[in-house]
Amino acid sequence: MHMNIITKVVSYVLIIFIILSLNFFLPRMMPAGPLSDSGITSSNESVLEEYINYMVNLVHGELGWSTSRNAPVWDVLKESLKWTVLLVGTSTAIYVIAGILTGAVSAWKKGKKSDAGLLVLLISLASFPPFFLGMLFIVFLAWRLDIFPRFGAQTLFIDYSTPFGVVLDILHHLILPAATLTLTSIGVIYLLTRNSMLNVLGEDYILAARAKGLSEWYIMRKHALKNALLPIITMVALVAGFVITGTIFVETVFAYPGVGVLVYEAVQAHDYPLLQGAFLIIALAILAVNFIADMVYVHLDPRVREE
Amino acid sequence: MKIAFLKKYLTNQLGLIGLGILIFFVVTAVFAPYIAPYDPDQRYKSTDHPNSAHLLGTNHVGQDILSELIYGTRVSLFITLFASFVSAFIGTSLGVIAGYFGRTDFFIMRIVDLFLTIPRLPLIIIIAAFMRPSVWNLVFVFALFEWSITARIIRSEVLTLKNRPYVDATRMFGAGDFYILGRHILPNVVPLVVVQLVLVSRYIILAESGLSFIGLGDPTAKSWGMILHDAFEYPTIFISDAWMWWMLPAGMCIVLTILSLTFIGYALEELVNPRLKLLT
Repeated sequence: MHMNIITKVVSYVLIIFIILSLNFFLPRMMPAGPLSDSGITSSNESVLEEYINYMVNLVHGELGWSTSRNAPVWDVLKESLKWTVLLVGTSTAIYVIAGILTGAVSAWKKGKKSDAGLLVLLISLASFPPFFLGMLFIVFLAWRLDIFPRFGAQTLFIDYSTPFGVVLDILHHLILPAATLTLTSIGVIYLLTRNSMLNVLGEDYILAARAKGLSEWYIMRKHALKNALLPIITMVALVAGFVITGTIFVETVFAYPGVGVLVYEAVQAHDYPLLQGAFLIIALAILAVNFIADMVYVHLDPRVREE
Repeated sequence: MKIAFLKKYLTNQLGLIGLGILIFFVVTAVFAPYIAPYDPDQRYKSTDHPNSAHLLGTNHVGQDILSELIYGTRVSLFITLFASFVSAFIGTSLGVIAGYFGRTDFFIMRIVDLFLTIPRLPLIIIIAAFMRPSVWNLVFVFALFEWSITARIIRSEVLTLKNRPYVDATRMFGAGDFYILGRHILPNVVPLVVVQLVLVSRYIILAESGLSFIGLGDPTAKSWGMILHDAFEYPTIFISDAWMWWMLPAGMCIVLTILSLTFIGYALEELVNPRLKLLT
């Protein structure tokens, strides 16, 4: 058990180190690099000294100066982070629950119309690039039907009479971006749950449970779903990575003021320090999610522990 | 039994539909200069509505959108197919070497693990942002990062293949490593490689459209994602009707290509591994 965890930890530390180093060397490796306008002043320090300084600054949260926002990168990121956390968190909660439920229903109704319908619908949705689905939502739901706000995370210049109004407004703005992220990423969890359930439902102990006369719902909940969930944990982390990356596109389309839209802004404005800062946050977030999933997996599956 | 047959027919139908769509796009890409009504760089009256001269109107600088779309097929498919072929080649080679020659296995697999754990798309985005945007650079970054899953899958297949009795028998008859590889190992991994090729293409076209959408595509050779980038940057795209001829066609081309690759992938996967049957 401990061996397994230690190798995992070591490999994650190594990857974080590689990503930090890449972030340092990338601007310096590019031939006609953006170094001149990147806020990295040339000095007579050696590359090694610069590198050490960079690492020390990172630990202190110094990520450089954003040229487009004219503010420290870290301050810009800090402002945006809460919105991305809200968006990713909501989407993840929804697609995990909805994915598992639809997958279980599909497996249960295998071969029936509801199974085929879900399958076709969710696979088709998975073929939409998140930004395109988001643009369609804006065209139809925000402009033509006018039932959702068209951009941003809050209505600007508005006085809320109650604190409840603020929450309602934020939720109202959250629906379309979260729906876009959820719908484009639910397919993987759905398919995996469906497959996993189908495998488990074919096991002897399910037959035994049926023979005992337990209700279908009880078997589903206590015997099938519990065992089918194990492989899904790893996949949840994988899809979470996909969703975190997807926020770059979805936030861009909805002008949602998170970390993702900063990537877009930074690319348009050639604001490389901001781009690197946003990249660092996104990459570390994905790694963190994967790491947690790995640990949870080791904890849950005794077979991995004993290896 | 009848139901099983029916379902098999159904999934093959899917594969056929997918192949049909893909062939349509490939033909469009190959014969783009003959199909497109105009040179995509030629400028006419800007933001024109669709009319008899410009079936899908013109964009913000007056380029014919239909011609852009047809030439965009070329760019999107070229990047996707070229990058997935290169990554399939790298992945297969490393997978076979790691699986067959035990000495290199540990080393290669640690690199594979590394590439699998690194958040690839964010990394691709930042590297692309630091490089000059060009079709070749996009091919390069995608090929560089998308081979690792293929390598892992091929390796585990080679590991089981090389210990099969008939391979042992061949070895006993004095066959060398290269004979065994060429005669027994490689032909048996080809189906898996093809499946991987389709899955990786599906991923790359999705990622490429995203990269182009945020403005990291080649401005001199516009892909579908780039057309969507232009459309999105146009101030009144959502308010006016322009989305219908500027945004919708390019987006649907991407969706259809991804859908066709998905269908082909499922159909192939089922042939290679009947246990994975989707509609059982």
